[in-house]
Amino acid sequence: MSTSFVNPTVERPFHRIAVVGLGNVLLGDDGFGPLAVEMFRSLYECDSKVEILDLGTPGLDLAPYLYDADLVVIADAVHPREEETPGTLCVYCEDDLGSSRAQLRLTSHDPGVQESLAQLRLAGHAPSEVIVVGVVPESCGLGTGISLSVLNTCFAAVDTNARLLVERSIDCRRRYAPLQRSLWWLSGEHGRRDGFDS
Amino acid sequence: MARISIDPVTRIEGHLRIDVEVDGGKVQKAWASCTMWRGLETILRGRDAREGWVFAQRFCGVCTTVHAIASVRAVEDALQLEIPANAQYIRNLILIAHALHDHIIHFYQLSSLDWVDIATIPKADPARAASIAEGYSSWPGNSRRELEAVRSKVKGMVDSGQLGIFSHGYWGHPAMRLRPELNLILFAHYLQALEFQRKACQIVGVLGGKTPHIQNLAVGGVMNAINLNSLATFNMDRLGMLQSLLQELIPFVQQAYFVDACLLSASYPEWFRYGRGVANYLAVPDLPTDAKATQFDLPGGLIMKGDLSSVQPIQNWRDQAFRSSVAEDVTHAWYKGEGAQTPWKGETDPDYTDFQADKKYTWVKAPRYNGQPIQVGPLANVLVGYASGHPLTRKWTDTAFKIISSVHDSGAHGFNLTPEELQSTMGRYLARAIRSAMLSDLALQHWQLLTNNILKGDDTTFNPPQFPSHECEGVGMHEAPRGALSHWVIIDKGAFTNYQAVVPTTWNASPRDEKGIAGPYETSLISNPVVDPSKPLEVLRTVHSFDPCMACACHTLDASGRVIARVKVL
Repeated sequence: MSTSFVNPTVERPFHRIAVVGLGNVLLGDDGFGPLAVEMFRSLYECDSKVEILDLGTPGLDLAPYLYDADLVVIADAVHPREEETPGTLCVYCEDDLGSSRAQLRLTSHDPGVQESLAQLRLAGHAPSEVIVVGVVPESCGLGTGISLSVLNTCFAAVDTNARLLVERSIDCRRRYAPLQRSLWWLSGEHGRRDGFDS
Repeated sequence: MARISIDPVTRIEGHLRIDVEVDGGKVQKAWASCTMWRGLETILRGRDAREGWVFAQRFCGVCTTVHAIASVRAVEDALQLEIPANAQYIRNLILIAHALHDHIIHFYQLSSLDWVDIATIPKADPARAASIAEGYSSWPGNSRRELEAVRSKVKGMVDSGQLGIFSHGYWGHPAMRLRPELNLILFAHYLQALEFQRKACQIVGVLGGKTPHIQNLAVGGVMNAINLNSLATFNMDRLGMLQSLLQELIPFVQQAYFVDACLLSASYPEWFRYGRGVANYLAVPDLPTDAKATQFDLPGGLIMKGDLSSVQPIQNWRDQAFRSSVAEDVTHAWYKGEGAQTPWKGETDPDYTDFQADKKYTWVKAPRYNGQPIQVGPLANVLVGYASGHPLTRKWTDTAFKIISSVHDSGAHGFNLTPEELQSTMGRYLARAIRSAMLSDLALQHWQLLTNNILKGDDTTFNPPQFPSHECEGVGMHEAPRGALSHWVIIDKGAFTNYQAVVPTTWNASPRDEKGIAGPYETSLISNPVVDPSKPLEVLRTVHSFDPCMACACHTLDASGRVIARVKVL
């Protein structure tokens, strides 16, 4: 596992922090990002400056959500490097993104993260720090659902999110009682519910 | 004869492959192929019809709200369920804000670099650029200081040789003709556009609860609680917040984007002669102004063979001709079955054969209207509006023509343009800007309609749906940023038994049909110039003019398919 955490030496005044989930919930493990941020919202209570966002697969539409943020933590499915098995947790810092070290999964919405960041940088509104908390997917075929290996890693990913915030002196505490989760795409009951006049 | 294969076409949403045969500097034959399978609708079968929109919203990461709205409209149509006026206005405002966001991204981030040569910007004179820009527009972002800052930023990038995301552009291509000052103005707005995309997202967020995936929809209306006396609900504060966001966003659209599209048009007049393609146009009515959806602020209609006087209106969403005229043909698409089928009976059983130009070569089906190929998009929207005498369309089209004729600059000389000439590559760019300027006016009008209705004391937003025990079918229409979208549903006991989405990019990226008739992308490329087959910039200009978004037209076949862009010259 890559542990390229950046230890900030100076405490910065934070204005906006975004915890972002990327991926398509209709493509199996590609839905890791949305799952991870929803679990994070349910398990942790954060400073009001922390926005928790399920952004799906926004392509270049990602830029407005990263605009002027101090810190962005992105949960996403990533391409495995040689030896990594499905469910491996990978943490990357921004410098890794431009190199061959981190390969974000190509969704149907390339270009995405790197292009959005490059544009924001040129416009002078790039986030100060970007960290990717990634997982190696098992299957990204058409259909809802998440594989067990990825689901198991999800809890570790959520705790990593929290640790990254705490390390930067951003208020983030485990909730005494988790909030209700909205994992609508994983609910098993399809179709018919109540409310018919038949 | 050179055969060029561009795979994938970059700066679009999704994966598209274009093959062209070039002879004598012109395209002779063209094929559009989508390299990703589509089977999203199978996910909807068997699901609760009230929840369909939540899933449909994930068809595409860019057109989220678009599919959500078409989905609830389809179910409401099947149930013949009327929704409250407040719900119409709230939905309309979401649709407008999303469309403005989408059109801004298309013009600047996805396509301007086909026309703007960044490499010349260091040579630009910012003072001169500022005086040119200020001659056409009162946009505050055109100051000399602002333009000087952008110039030095670009100069630093060019001097260092580190072009980053811009390193793949066709810089110095002979077809790039803007003078350095115009390149600077447009690129300055390219960078400013990011701030206004953010404002458009905030508008969707205020109304929809969240963005990009809105939370406030329901079959039967919207879930926004309206109570002027409660802080926690939709109240005067929210309305005020919306109004100020709109007032911040609209000047960028009308004074920067719209004017830039006019300047670009005036600088590349020959691009009003290329890229006409299929000249049958379809736009569906949208932005209803009453609960029953009998009146619309965007007119729908059909124009055949490029003859504006032939416009036949589509009055409302229950139009019977529309329902019986749309069919999808799979002769040249990688699906089982033959010929054309109404979407209500549509199937999506894959039958992959590899790229065979004379047989099957794409994952996109071929939609047809009474057997004819159709072009959809902002151009269709503007032509139908203009032809039917829609005042706002006329106002902004005429304004654009006036600006274009007034341009007098060393690189560009104004000329008179007619609505007929909009049927072209540049016409599609200009039409999108005309539509955006018009939608900006409509945003304020619909904000006013909503506010007046609430002040009148109407706080209803939802009529509960009742599902019959028998099977029913419906169509949900939306004039989306890329054109006419329709969701076709069959519902039995409250659950979907079939679901088909006929999306704008399917109309435009359509392959040949049973009779061998090609689709809009394919025909628009014929006779397109190609100066240098190893740098087919001109092909990209025409393809990008449609704003391709392949994600919902088809989907990933191989999730890890890492194709590296290649241009193959045979």
